[in-house]
Amino acid sequence: MSLPEFKLLRPRTVREAVDLLAQHSGNVRVLAGGTDLVPSMRQKLFEPQYVVDIRHISVLNGISPLRDGAVEIGALTSLTAIERSPYLRQHYSVLSEAAGTVASPVLRNMGTIGGNICLDTRCLWYNQSLQWRKSCGFCIKKDGDLCHVAPGGTKCWAAFSGDTPPALLCLNADIEIVSAAAIRRVALGEFYTGDGVAYRKLQSGELVTRVFLPAASADYRGVYRKLRVRGSIDYPLAGVAVVLKRANGHIADARVALTAVNPAPLLVTGATAALLGNVLDEALAEAVGDMAAKTAKPLTTSALTPEYRREMIRVFTKRALLAAAN
Amino acid sequence: MSDFSIIGKPIAMVDAAGKTTGAGKYTDDLSVAGMLYGKILHSPHPHARIVRVDTSRAAKLPGVVAVVTGKDAPNPYGILPVGHDERAMALDKVRYVGDNVACVAAETEFIAEQALELIDVEYEVLPAYFDPEESMKAQSDFIHDNKPQNIEKDYHHVFGDPDKAFTEADYVAEARFIAQEVTHAAMEPHSTLASFEIDSQTGKPGRLTVWSSTQVPYYLQHKLSLVLEMPMSQIRVIKPLVGGGFGGKSEVIPLEIIAAVAARAAQKPVKITYTREEVFLAHRGRPRTIVDLKTGVKNDGSITAVKARVIQDGGAYCSYGVVTILYSGALLGALYDIPNIQYDGYRVLTNKPVCGAMRGHGTVNVRFAFESQLDEIALQLKMDSAEIRRRNLLKAPCITVNGLRVQSYGLPECIAQVVTRSQWNERKGKLPKSRGLGIACSHYVSGAANSIIRSDMPHSTVNIKIDRDGGIVVYTGASDIGQGSDTMVAQIAAEVLGCSMARVKVIAADTDLTPIDIGSYSSRVTFMNGNATLRAAQDVKKQIATAAARKMDCTLDDLIFRDDVVVNKRAPVAATPANGSQPTVVHAEASVSGRVEGQILRGSLQQKRKDEGPKARLSFEEAVVAAIDFHGALSGTGSYAPPPEARGGKHKGAGVGPSPAYSYSAQVAEVSVDEETGEVTVHKVWASHDCGRALNPTSVEGQIIGSVWMGMGQALTEEMVWKDGLLMNPGLLEYRSPSSVESPVVEAIIVESVDPEGPFGAKEASEGSLAATIPAIANAIYDAVGIRLRESPFTPERVLSALRAKKKQKHINLTEGVDPTAPTTFREHGGSLCFKGKGPERHALDPARREAQVATGGAD
Ligand SMILES: Cc1cc2nc3c(=O)[nH]c(=O)nc-3n(C[C@H](O)[C@H](O)[C@H](O)COP(=O)(O)OP(=O)(O)OC[C@H]3O[C@@H](n4cnc5c(N)ncnc54)[C@H](O)[C@@H]3O)c2cc1C
Repeated sequence: MSLPEFKLLRPRTVREAVDLLAQHSGNVRVLAGGTDLVPSMRQKLFEPQYVVDIRHISVLNGISPLRDGAVEIGALTSLTAIERSPYLRQHYSVLSEAAGTVASPVLRNMGTIGGNICLDTRCLWYNQSLQWRKSCGFCIKKDGDLCHVAPGGTKCWAAFSGDTPPALLCLNADIEIVSAAAIRRVALGEFYTGDGVAYRKLQSGELVTRVFLPAASADYRGVYRKLRVRGSIDYPLAGVAVVLKRANGHIADARVALTAVNPAPLLVTGATAALLGNVLDEALAEAVGDMAAKTAKPLTTSALTPEYRREMIRVFTKRALLAAAN
Repeated sequence: MSDFSIIGKPIAMVDAAGKTTGAGKYTDDLSVAGMLYGKILHSPHPHARIVRVDTSRAAKLPGVVAVVTGKDAPNPYGILPVGHDERAMALDKVRYVGDNVACVAAETEFIAEQALELIDVEYEVLPAYFDPEESMKAQSDFIHDNKPQNIEKDYHHVFGDPDKAFTEADYVAEARFIAQEVTHAAMEPHSTLASFEIDSQTGKPGRLTVWSSTQVPYYLQHKLSLVLEMPMSQIRVIKPLVGGGFGGKSEVIPLEIIAAVAARAAQKPVKITYTREEVFLAHRGRPRTIVDLKTGVKNDGSITAVKARVIQDGGAYCSYGVVTILYSGALLGALYDIPNIQYDGYRVLTNKPVCGAMRGHGTVNVRFAFESQLDEIALQLKMDSAEIRRRNLLKAPCITVNGLRVQSYGLPECIAQVVTRSQWNERKGKLPKSRGLGIACSHYVSGAANSIIRSDMPHSTVNIKIDRDGGIVVYTGASDIGQGSDTMVAQIAAEVLGCSMARVKVIAADTDLTPIDIGSYSSRVTFMNGNATLRAAQDVKKQIATAAARKMDCTLDDLIFRDDVVVNKRAPVAATPANGSQPTVVHAEASVSGRVEGQILRGSLQQKRKDEGPKARLSFEEAVVAAIDFHGALSGTGSYAPPPEARGGKHKGAGVGPSPAYSYSAQVAEVSVDEETGEVTVHKVWASHDCGRALNPTSVEGQIIGSVWMGMGQALTEEMVWKDGLLMNPGLLEYRSPSSVESPVVEAIIVESVDPEGPFGAKEASEGSLAATIPAIANAIYDAVGIRLRESPFTPERVLSALRAKKKQKHINLTEGVDPTAPTTFREHGGSLCFKGKGPERHALDPARREAQVATGGAD
């Protein structure tokens, strides 16, 4: 399967990059590690005339602890760097742990945090070759107008399947988005739409440049649990991130977030309230597991049946909470 | 007999360096001047009549050199003489999503892909069959007109008196088992490069050379000859390095024929390499199999009768199907002593990619059912599950009730080994909660005693040529596909001729140079090509020995060939140094490259000179020179055909199953099950395998480990998922072969029963182990958590749903009924068949858009 023809542009600065994006707006794609974009282009899911390769913008690479204890992570920082960073492992362990479960070592060397945040939503009816998609008459996410997963529906249910965003949601992360016209900073929770097609609020001329982890989120106990069939390579079929902080044996703060079971990574609403001020025991963990299972709306977008995946959200949430509390 | 110098040693594969450094060339690494790239247009429909194919727009695209369709090569072919139902490309009908319709040869892969989109095909869609049991009820629109009810073939065998034996049994178990479809997933995707020479006399395409990733160069040559209507002698098939086959390259795969058809039309060389998706569509894997199995036993555990009804979902063409369904029945025999067998096998056609041969061809899914059921029976009889297997051993040598001749039989030792090493007796039943041990056995043929082409031709022939400097060239048709046959051939030649491996060069699998070998499948190569090599080596050795004996004034029996020296064993030991004054004696350790021509010439002169007295030893070169001077050119030949006694019974279908020798395997698996998630972890597998003799123990261990690993894939994670004939997971991301993370520790245990007919006693080593792994894991899961899984793979959801059913907990729905409106087949609500919606951004290739254009008179 060959790549479609395109023009490769290689800016050296953010300014240059956003100017190029503005210039070719609507007909351009950002390439970071390329581990998601390149296979998708081969499958003709994207056929842009221009590809802006941002890998040479060195200011976008690196993990910088700030004086107040917060951290700034450049969008180009590799998942391996995040997985291995002693600073992140110590203070934001849930992120390192989640990064370490992505794909395989080779893909983590190439894949970036920015790419993981911007990762396209996935579905068995979508992530296929052109020839394959032709055989099923295409789908609502690409080239067609119906959904094979929720027949009759007009919404796309392709699942957001990145591993680090649930961890980032638990850490109340913000991201910085730059365009030729402006710089904005948004909470990651605001970035995703919940629709499988227009899954992120990012204009064609915009670039994600940085991720901010607030000082207030440092030093939580964190756990990430990922359902997959193989211990390597596989995307999550369900994922749960948990952070919590205790004071005098009681939970002082906690958050639970999910991935791979909805078109967006989601915080489990109500989980924090249910946990706050309580002592974590099996029953409480199970109750929060039930809440998480209600938040999850898995469909037949991936392997393993939806019902099983929702069950696993319940089990994994319970286990992650108990592990974090120990 | 263990006094070998090369055999039994862990010698590095002769092609290891090229493979590990990247210098080795696989087919896709090759290119020739002027070469074009071929791309195949596949059917988007599971079953449709082709009304019209218009390639004119594609042919006009700059860079396109040729576009070919079924009409360019209409002759049918197929791997089995009874199954010539395939064509290079579809003529009138397509029969699965992925069936071949046309091929473009263009200057670049990109242009070829573009051109595919310009081929207009009009289809008339037909009802399609996806489930074998439904397919068997078909009344019309048969997949092949000459196969009513879509049954490719059915067999009904009765051996002994099973009905009576069941009534005499103390306990009868009966259940349905299902094994889902799996595929080989060899690392190297199929690739073929076809090139015609221009005939000097006619100026037209003449001789054809094909480089292909194949396990069967000779069959490829034969089928090319049928389809292209060329004599075989005009076709040369060369097999470069092959990155794994596992059966997926053991017949002619569409691209191999298509590349040649396209090259002929283009009058230029054409290379086609499959995408991974195309590899899945070419398939030829293990069919989804439904096994209804009934076993009767006496209270002492002895089996009285077995009845199996097997339905295989074979896909759209015959392929090896008739052989697969026969193996499934025949290999009920030859593992245990079963006096009465009834077998009903149905090979059914469906509108899906074609199933064929895959590692453990025919036996694996039935073995899963059988060994699982045997475990259930042991439980009923309160008998240890290793013990029930011991109670049913064959009394070899023997001929089984279904006509299989068993000679060497290492199964008892295989069982003893795994029981001891796993501490079965000490640990079984005493492991921590949710952890368990399971045992199972299996076996396989060392090649089929009757070749599929049903001729009296030897199955293997090997030629050996020895040069004046003692360099040995072995010409073998054996196809090394990574299993190590080149190394095996070199080892046998070196052992027989008593020389070092460095002297031996193997030229393999090139139909112009090497004598016929029918291919690398059914684990026949070591046994058959090994025997042919052995005989060829003995043939030349005899010629050398005759000359040497003359020179050494002794009989042939007095000579020992070893360590690059020929010694008269009767000569007094002291005689050896007496010859030390002769500078021409090349010491045993001397490197081959260290020899210079002068020595050889001098050797020759000395040979001519009347010797003062007989020598006690000659270097290998001296002996060779003596023989060449004496006989002229030094070459030998050997061939192998299975003996008539091994060729089986007389009943219909008796040809499949008989083998000159069977390998045996026993395995114990240790697993744990997460009872909340259903996830199964395999911690360790003890796998013993009776390979007769391990010619190269490292190689045998590699095969055992690989078999266990591949079996574990089928047991736990691998499954082809279909939606109305559309493969949902045509790639290595979604088709989940285990990664290194899941790989358990495998303790490979070699058992050597020394077969009377195998080369140095060797038998099969690469397939027999696979079948035991699946039931060993199933039985271990039962031991761990008390659930009997009768459907593979044992995915976490299947395990969890069985656990919940057992504990009477909340049911897990394994169908997709999460959305109550979900139809059972997607084509009812969408798909290209009834795609009538009006999406905003309809793709240019959307058939509905094309219809709309036609309606409005639009054209491009
Ligand atoms: C076999 C395989 C297995 C995988 N398994 C997993 C897994 O288990 N978990 C998981 O999370 N991911 C997985 N992935 C996906 C991928 O490797 C990771 O998500 C990775 O982090 C993507 O980063 P990248 O830099 O390679 O992204 P790219 O491919 O470069 O980009 C991904 C998308 O984001 C956009 N983009 C990238 N950077 C920016 C930016 N700075 N600003 C704006 N837009 C941007 C691109 O335009 C593109 O649409 C897998 C991929 C493969 C091929």
